[in-house]
Amino acid sequence: MKLSDLSADSRGRVTSLPGDKRFINRISAIGITSGVDFRVIKNDKHMPVLIYVRQTLLALNRRDCERIEVEVAS
Amino acid sequence: MNRVALLGQPNSGKSTLFNQLTGSRQHVGNWPGKTVEKKDGTYTYEGSTYTLTDLPGSYGLSSNSDEEIITESFIKGGLADLVCVLVDASQLERSMYMLADFSALKTPCILILNMMDVAKSQGKTINAELLSDRLGIPVVPFTAAENKGYEELKELIAKELKSPHMLKTALSKTSGADAKYEWIEAQLEGVTESSDSDYKLTKLDRILLKPFWGKVVTVAVILVGFLVAMLVMSPFMGMAGMLPKLLGSPIASFLNGLGIHPWLVSVFSLIIPNTIYFCISMSAFVFGVNLVFGFLEEIGFLARAAYQFDGALSKLGLQGKAVAPILMGMGCTIGASTGTRVMDNWGQKMLTMMVVWAVPCASIWSVIPVISNMFFPPWGTALVCLGIIAYVFILMFIVSKVFGKSLVPDESRSGMIMELPPYHKPHWKYIIKEAWIKCWDMFKRAIRTVTLVSVIFWAFSFSPSGNVESSLLYKVGTFIEPVTKFFGMGWRTFMAFISAAFAKEAVLGTLNAVFAGQSNVADVAFNVSTGGVDTAALSTIMAQTISPAEALAFMFAITFSVPCLMALSTTYRESHSLKWTLKTSAFYVCAALVLSCIVFHIASLFM
Repeated sequence: MKLSDLSADSRGRVTSLPGDKRFINRISAIGITSGVDFRVIKNDKHMPVLIYVRQTLLALNRRDCERIEVEVAS
Repeated sequence: MNRVALLGQPNSGKSTLFNQLTGSRQHVGNWPGKTVEKKDGTYTYEGSTYTLTDLPGSYGLSSNSDEEIITESFIKGGLADLVCVLVDASQLERSMYMLADFSALKTPCILILNMMDVAKSQGKTINAELLSDRLGIPVVPFTAAENKGYEELKELIAKELKSPHMLKTALSKTSGADAKYEWIEAQLEGVTESSDSDYKLTKLDRILLKPFWGKVVTVAVILVGFLVAMLVMSPFMGMAGMLPKLLGSPIASFLNGLGIHPWLVSVFSLIIPNTIYFCISMSAFVFGVNLVFGFLEEIGFLARAAYQFDGALSKLGLQGKAVAPILMGMGCTIGASTGTRVMDNWGQKMLTMMVVWAVPCASIWSVIPVISNMFFPPWGTALVCLGIIAYVFILMFIVSKVFGKSLVPDESRSGMIMELPPYHKPHWKYIIKEAWIKCWDMFKRAIRTVTLVSVIFWAFSFSPSGNVESSLLYKVGTFIEPVTKFFGMGWRTFMAFISAAFAKEAVLGTLNAVFAGQSNVADVAFNVSTGGVDTAALSTIMAQTISPAEALAFMFAITFSVPCLMALSTTYRESHSLKWTLKTSAFYVCAALVLSCIVFHIASLFM
């Protein structure tokens, strides 16, 4: 399952972060690492996905969200 | 040695701290051989001088981008005796990532917990002493945007340079992200009270983040912002506008009394007062635009705007953050060019500036309807305006297609990954100070550049007999007219086209001079700023002299040419690249001529 598939208000956990070193570093630096729990705040079509992770509200562009593997967490 | 370096993630308030410490003693350029901005500055404390370097670097130090390689080799090369690491206290865990990366470099440092005011307003408490004990370095709670605590900070820096501290524990260069966050968690244990409460969107965010209405509200807020800026600045512009009238005739009669040559008299009584007026009103504009956008940035509004327009901007090879400079461009291209500083890297910044040039600024909208009304009925003018707006998007697209690949190559295209900070109160003093610094910097450059160009323009348009036909402008203009005619412009409109690249405000004056003809071109062109154009009379003459098709072509040409001299100068200052500034200018002039040519030949079929 991809991050972009989760609907608003659902909780998830990152399972894997594919991509080049640059992308992984960038996304880790802002708080998204594999295994981290998050909550989807907003996920509207054609808009970046808003997630709440490590006490920060983040906007992630859709293309990257379509790459991030997640699982649903309770 | 007193070499201090600043390190921190974007939004950590690094440039605020840098500006507040160094004031105007800054040097901005590029790192040798790289398109990465280098900011150095100095300050003195108790008689000693300290140099401060703002280290580039985005979120960490391990992604091997140009910025990060520069920063790493700077620190490893021993060029910093002390590094001040800045973190955002309101997002401590995430923000400490930079410190975790930095720890591998084993260099003396202090930690500045910036934005304590925001952390406090969120009810977060941080035990700085405990954190300091654990890290083994001084930890300073701070609010960079407030004008407090700087003396204490300078004192601490001086002390640390004499007896430096290093982080007690360090990660290895190869540690993964998980290891870094584990290290951070271990350092922060018991330091912060983490209330893991659920996040709820505020009422305002529920509206601002809506896909459609959010965009409408965003644009509306920006437009209101411009109106406010204009209202605030108009008294200053008005006062400056009286200068040419007040100074003009006393200087002229004084110099005439001395028996000086009339050429020189007109330089001092006409050009100089008008140049000063022009520079003041342009600076006022830059100040107003920066004030509005500084405010919108501080309260967290621009981050929402970036979220709204990320999708649209990614089609141009840019990302959401570019929305602020592009919207600023609707007010003033000069202000917008300085606004591109928010972009993540040089390529994105340059591309944003090039795209910003396509946005018609407020000045052009004061010219287009006037000219259009001379040739077309009101509905025709509305169509002209719509056509211009439609072409803005086409031109932005062309620019991104032509230059996007080389400025922002695919591998460095990064979509928006940014935090939406909680709304917070603006620090007015800081916003005003920043706007003032930008405005003053622009004014100083403007006085030099505008005076020089004014004198050149004046020399070209000066006519000893007072008739256009004896000016150099006329001779050159009519000589190249066969060429300019192909692009849809006769010598008169072509001269106005050139003056438009100097300043949009000069267009009506130049038109008046070249069309009305009887009076001295120089006098009329420079008197425009004092409201000397009789549009009704000009309208009659213009309509008799040129075809509506030429007028239409001319309007498109002036709107989409080089925005103005100072936009060009600012683009050079911001990009530090003469090559790209010239490339941008050449592209815009050529694109405007081609556009004019197309518009003229198509319009000629119908008109």
